[in-house]
Amino acid sequence: MSALATPAPPVPATAATPTRSSEAGRAQSRGGRRALGVLAVILSVLWVFPIYWMVNSAFLPLNKLQTPEPTFFPVGATLSNFRRVLDDPSFWTSMRVSLAVVAIVLVAALLFAFLAALAVSRFRFRGRKSFILTILVVQMIPAEGLFISQYQMLDGWNLVNKVAGLALVYTAAILPFTIWMLRGFVAGVPIELEEAAMVDGLSRTAAFFRITFPLLAPGLVAAGVYGFLQAWNEYTLALVVMTDPAQRTLPLWLQGLVESNRATDWGVVMAGSAVIAIPVIVFFLFVQNKMTSGLVAGAVKG
Amino acid sequence: MAATATVPLQDDDTVVFPRRRRRKLGVYGLLVPAAILMGVALGYPLVRQFVISFQEYGLRQQFGQPAEWVGLKNYTDLLSDPYVWTVIGRSIAFCLVNAGVTMLVGVAFAVLMSRVSKAPRITLQVALLLAWGTPVLASMTVWQWLFDSQYGVINWVLANVFGLEDMAGHSWIIQPLSFYFVATVIVVWMSVPFVAFSVYAALLQVPEETMEAAQLDGASARQRFWNITMPMVRPVLSIVLLLQVIWDFKVFTQIYVLQRAGAPTRETNLLGTLIYSYADEFSLAGALATIMLVITLGLTGFYIRKMLKEDEL
Amino acid sequence: MKILRFAAVGVAAALTLTACGNGDDAADEPTEAGTPEAATIKLWLNGTDTPDALREYLTTTFESENPGSKLVIEEQDWSGLVPRLQTALGSADQTPDVVEIGNTQSPTFTYAGAFADITDMYDELGGDKLLPGFVEAGSADGSFYAAPYYSGARAVFYNKDAFAAAGVEVPTTLAEFTEAAKALQTDTQSGFWFPGQDWYNGAAWIYTNGGDLAVKDGDTWKGALSTPESIKGLEEVQDLFANATNAPADSDSNEPWVPFNAGQSAMFSAPTWARWSIDLPQCNKAVDPDDTSEEAKVLRGEQQACNEEHTGIFPLPGLEEGSVANGFAGGSNIAVAAKSKNPDLAKNLLKIIFSEEYQNMLGENGLIPGNTEYAASMGDDVYAKAAVAAALDAKLTPAAEKWADVEGDRILEDFFQQLATGADVTEAAAETDQLLEDALN
Repeated sequence: MSALATPAPPVPATAATPTRSSEAGRAQSRGGRRALGVLAVILSVLWVFPIYWMVNSAFLPLNKLQTPEPTFFPVGATLSNFRRVLDDPSFWTSMRVSLAVVAIVLVAALLFAFLAALAVSRFRFRGRKSFILTILVVQMIPAEGLFISQYQMLDGWNLVNKVAGLALVYTAAILPFTIWMLRGFVAGVPIELEEAAMVDGLSRTAAFFRITFPLLAPGLVAAGVYGFLQAWNEYTLALVVMTDPAQRTLPLWLQGLVESNRATDWGVVMAGSAVIAIPVIVFFLFVQNKMTSGLVAGAVKG
Repeated sequence: MAATATVPLQDDDTVVFPRRRRRKLGVYGLLVPAAILMGVALGYPLVRQFVISFQEYGLRQQFGQPAEWVGLKNYTDLLSDPYVWTVIGRSIAFCLVNAGVTMLVGVAFAVLMSRVSKAPRITLQVALLLAWGTPVLASMTVWQWLFDSQYGVINWVLANVFGLEDMAGHSWIIQPLSFYFVATVIVVWMSVPFVAFSVYAALLQVPEETMEAAQLDGASARQRFWNITMPMVRPVLSIVLLLQVIWDFKVFTQIYVLQRAGAPTRETNLLGTLIYSYADEFSLAGALATIMLVITLGLTGFYIRKMLKEDEL
Repeated sequence: MKILRFAAVGVAAALTLTACGNGDDAADEPTEAGTPEAATIKLWLNGTDTPDALREYLTTTFESENPGSKLVIEEQDWSGLVPRLQTALGSADQTPDVVEIGNTQSPTFTYAGAFADITDMYDELGGDKLLPGFVEAGSADGSFYAAPYYSGARAVFYNKDAFAAAGVEVPTTLAEFTEAAKALQTDTQSGFWFPGQDWYNGAAWIYTNGGDLAVKDGDTWKGALSTPESIKGLEEVQDLFANATNAPADSDSNEPWVPFNAGQSAMFSAPTWARWSIDLPQCNKAVDPDDTSEEAKVLRGEQQACNEEHTGIFPLPGLEEGSVANGFAGGSNIAVAAKSKNPDLAKNLLKIIFSEEYQNMLGENGLIPGNTEYAASMGDDVYAKAAVAAALDAKLTPAAEKWADVEGDRILEDFFQQLATGADVTEAAAETDQLLEDALN
């Protein structure tokens, strides 16, 4: 994950910091642009409202939640909902399990997908198109009926109730899309840069890590975000594979929380939801700059 | 993993000297780790599901009874059931509407992002990132709470702000159409960020010089959009649309959670939830999954072939 | 006939309390006949229905009776139970050795061969004193697989102040109940909290009028909602939906005490342990639930007493004055997994569960124990009386192999919701009968 720490090189990063505003300013009247700006802010508020509502409700005591008139701001806020979640040892157990699963999935999926993406985007070889078609078509098959076969497979390898088992299936499941995403991106990194560095006397290893890899970092981040979300969210397979209470992932924990508080205490449910959303949102905001530039560069090829 | 990390270096040789045959094998070497992993952990269950779709395989078989081969019986059983056809029709309609709305809204957001100044743009981007980044189970709980018939804020706003007093206590999920409306709102809310960011990224690729030159040549804003911008962002639009169709056809979690919140199940099933409900008649689930694959290919095949031909894949 | 036998047992229970149960001596048996090899066995319990004290008792008793062996209890959520059982019970390495399973899910797994045959233990575990409907749900082809763990009969809780205000008396027949509910109904207060998907409570009207959900006819199951008896009950249900409740049509039987506590409902029906969830505003002393000081305990005690003073309870009445309705019995079965590697240890655990001491502990916690001989342990307060009275006449869902499909497809939730939204009873019943037949055969 050194990709996260590597500063973005100037080339794709500039693509992400658009400098179109001057041009746009000329094309539109100032007032028109301001109106659009207002519209953008209104839409932002609309889009973010459900998340605001989750956080707001999480701070409210029950008697302010189940009232005919909604409480729009957390006046009289209480931390007791969060305390109930954070004091629950099973929450922390699940957090550890989920983080472990996600870490393995991210490293393995990005590494393998990167190698495969290198192959399909830089080379023309026999079977290339079939490979691309396969990874596309595989995404069309619904996963809801698969859990029994997946379970039996993991059971055969003694990987039930183990982080490694769940991570293995998740990695395989997100590889097709990750390869797909990285493929367009790798194609956008010019091999000439690396060759030029080698002419300047760098070894191939050094040239790759100093030149090519940093250019790929945003793409890896964009693909990583997808993998993170998938592995963080998955429920149906985790439900059957992780039966041991010490091995439950966060979605299972949240489901348990919802089940025991539904109709009684939405505040706790909202606090639980907010708490499992936080790591993802932090990760998103942390990588957001790189991710947008990753999407930009990926968009060259699509 | 440390060992595999050296592979790309070797294969960069291939990049520089692609003519050497020995290196050619390296290409496949790059594919091997991903291919093995997918083949084993994804391919095996998929193939097994396919094989079982020709057997009688239910709960009893899971506890050791032999599975009998029944040929196409599972397929004919499903396809002769009018209810399955109803669900297929619903799923196709739901998928097209959702993919369409998501694309429209997503493209509109992307265009908006490219037209506004920095502050509103970043505000919008952060809002979209938050919607995108919130785990689906967490956002489903809050959507249920928003649409809750007794304490939901949406009913309250409609009744008290817009004066629609009938809406107090209104149940959104009990009628199939309004159920699908709620599901569409949620699915679109979650899917728009991906479309908006991808298309926005593509819009940034349109060279300014070309636009300015066209403007100097007297092309109207509309002409510039259709003749310069569209052709440049079209590959991205195609791929994003394709992915939306594939994903929306498979939609499961949102529907499942809403059903459990109190909707009539049979009247709101889509293919994803129907397959899940066959989980103890595994052979039927397998057959329906195959049927879904065929339908998805039918919906997108023409499109994929076109993209292949134009080398957009 | 079963009902009669059960009734007799219930009455006799008080007398036999001190008598030694079969299961008790049996627990020592394995040590005499050769101790099974020490191992760790796994027990799956669902939700929080089995209190911690009982879990502890099981662990310590099992480990002291089976030296060297350990018992691990894993708690599972009800909502994900079926897929979990479906996969884990099929795996020799992962299977829990002993599992609790919902009584409506029990026939499906019993027929599928998921459980070990324990016919030879039938008498030892309680014989014909075991809850009969549950025994049926845990038997297949003449063999016994899943024993009754506990039952939770439903009784009606009512707000005494609301009854007084509306001048309503505790109803003594089912027809009176409907009238009372209608009389209590106002725009802001439901007479009876009856959400649209609540077939658990709704089934009582079908059963009491002599109807059923489905009946076995030779080798096939037939939907029975369209029989005249069922239709009569269902019409009463629809009457209640239309005129005696404000409960949303898109809710189920979960947490009915929430509107009750909020003054939005004058009556609700739930298992009797719901008494601990009643929290009327006039009684609330705002004690922090985490506060363990003496003072807090006293306040909590006062609060509970106040709640119980303002709340009454009665079993849903039957057709005749003084009779009790045939409600739907919730509860669980408990079974040894067919693939358990330690079936002897698992059976030892089953013996502990059916020992007099443990059965009494279930009763003391408000659960009707699987062995009716110990029903008296529930005590003799109004709650226990209502629970026992309701349980005596309770009935289960049909013991059909594929009943789990009916639950999985949520056929009955859909059906009751249709009634709640004003569908034509006869038409909806006929359609649902067809769906039941498709699912069960």
